[in-house]
Amino acid sequence: MLCQHCNKNEATTHVKTMINGEYTEYWLCPECAHELGYDNMFPDFHTDFGGLLSSFFSNALPARSGAARCKSCGSTLNDIKHTGKVGCADCYDTFFSELMPTIRSVHGNTEHKGKRPGAIEYTVNDDGAGNKSENTDKLSSLKAELKKAIEDENFERAAQLRDEIKGLEA
Amino acid sequence: MSEAVVSTRIRLARNLREYPFPIRLSADKAQEIVAKVGEALTDCGIKFHKIDSDNVSDTILVSMIERHLVSPDFVNGERGRAVYLSDDNTVSIMVNEEDHIRLQVIKDGFALDEAYELADKVDNILSKKLNFAFSDRLGYLTQCPTNLGTGMRASVMLHLPALDMSTAAYRIGANLSKLGLTMRGLYGESTKPSGAFFQLSNQVTLGISEKAAIENLKNITTQLIAQEMRARDGILGDIEVEDKISRALGILKTAKLMDHSEAMSLLSLVRLGVTSKKLETLSADSIDKLIVEIQPASIMSRCGEDMSPRDRDIKRAEIIRNKFN
Repeated sequence: MLCQHCNKNEATTHVKTMINGEYTEYWLCPECAHELGYDNMFPDFHTDFGGLLSSFFSNALPARSGAARCKSCGSTLNDIKHTGKVGCADCYDTFFSELMPTIRSVHGNTEHKGKRPGAIEYTVNDDGAGNKSENTDKLSSLKAELKKAIEDENFERAAQLRDEIKGLEA
Repeated sequence: MSEAVVSTRIRLARNLREYPFPIRLSADKAQEIVAKVGEALTDCGIKFHKIDSDNVSDTILVSMIERHLVSPDFVNGERGRAVYLSDDNTVSIMVNEEDHIRLQVIKDGFALDEAYELADKVDNILSKKLNFAFSDRLGYLTQCPTNLGTGMRASVMLHLPALDMSTAAYRIGANLSKLGLTMRGLYGESTKPSGAFFQLSNQVTLGISEKAAIENLKNITTQLIAQEMRARDGILGDIEVEDKISRALGILKTAKLMDHSEAMSLLSLVRLGVTSKKLETLSADSIDKLIVEIQPASIMSRCGEDMSPRDRDIKRAEIIRNKFN
């Protein structure tokens, strides 16, 4: 089969694409596949984050906090949208409701978990004792374990777990 | 593991509470931050030396990018930037890049826990003297919302020649983003993969602890290496692949002119041959070091800054011949 792009060389690459729900497939020779970027194993990695971010911002919900300018650094919401960069720490308070949809779509989360300044004891091998959100994780896993212990009629373990859960909830 | 993992990096983004982020920072204030970071590092147990981006030639700065000691953004940006480098070049602290502080630890091989431990230690040293911008809800506050939360980017540099050759590997990349990870070329953001070297790192920093993000990355890296090894088993019996590998070594040993991209592809093939025990020549570690040495600015910082691309290709071929013969 001949390459459907140059119609000269033997096709070796079979390309299937789905763009806006429309399915197409065609055959390319190595040269054309290279030229069209179909020989790259990771085609979608070179995401330009600035660009991505400003497009997220433009999809963000309409302004609710009403602040026109950050009092600390003078940034406007437009500045932030335009550059994809926040002006200062206070901007996160000033434009909280405008920034939140973007933050949620970038991270899928809006609550920090992990290290806090000053919490020197926290290391990668630490389970994060004393850390609220880590505790919540631990609590739910203990509760699941408790349920299983009761189902298995392992009451001794269940009692231990119950006490541990009480301790964490206190 | 070291067959496929070249190096490991941990990067932490931090900002000082009392200053605007770099985009809104005046040159004077930028200098103040450089000085404050320097003070926080004195007598900390690790020896650092300071390099001012204004006082160093572009060639030296670019050669530091090639060694992953600073980022491309650091070199392209405004004046008033500095980097504090530890004597063994393992820790680098960029000041006034995208954030006030970009603390980075780089280790050979697959060493995520070790690298994080050191980054955490230096971060604790800094936070004793510096007041970091932090919110309970959003974690460490950063100039770009993509780094909020832990501000941590953990990455492994992978050599995946067999996956790169096989078309079956296509879907791996596309699926990584669902796992909160991202894969890029050798020199970070928006660079083209070169010689089948890739950088795999965590994408999400908010709502996932350092520990969980590192475990996730470890897990996926291990799976990716297993796939690479399976793919190698599939291609290495093939006489055509073995021929390519042997020829690559032949060219490296004898060529008189070698441009960067040719060198990268040939070294990648030879690294594949060495780590799969098909070739006996330099060790993988020596090849990894050679790859850094033959980058354009690294050649120029060693052999003179007024080299033309052709001079460099001659010099590159010579460096490589000397290493392999």
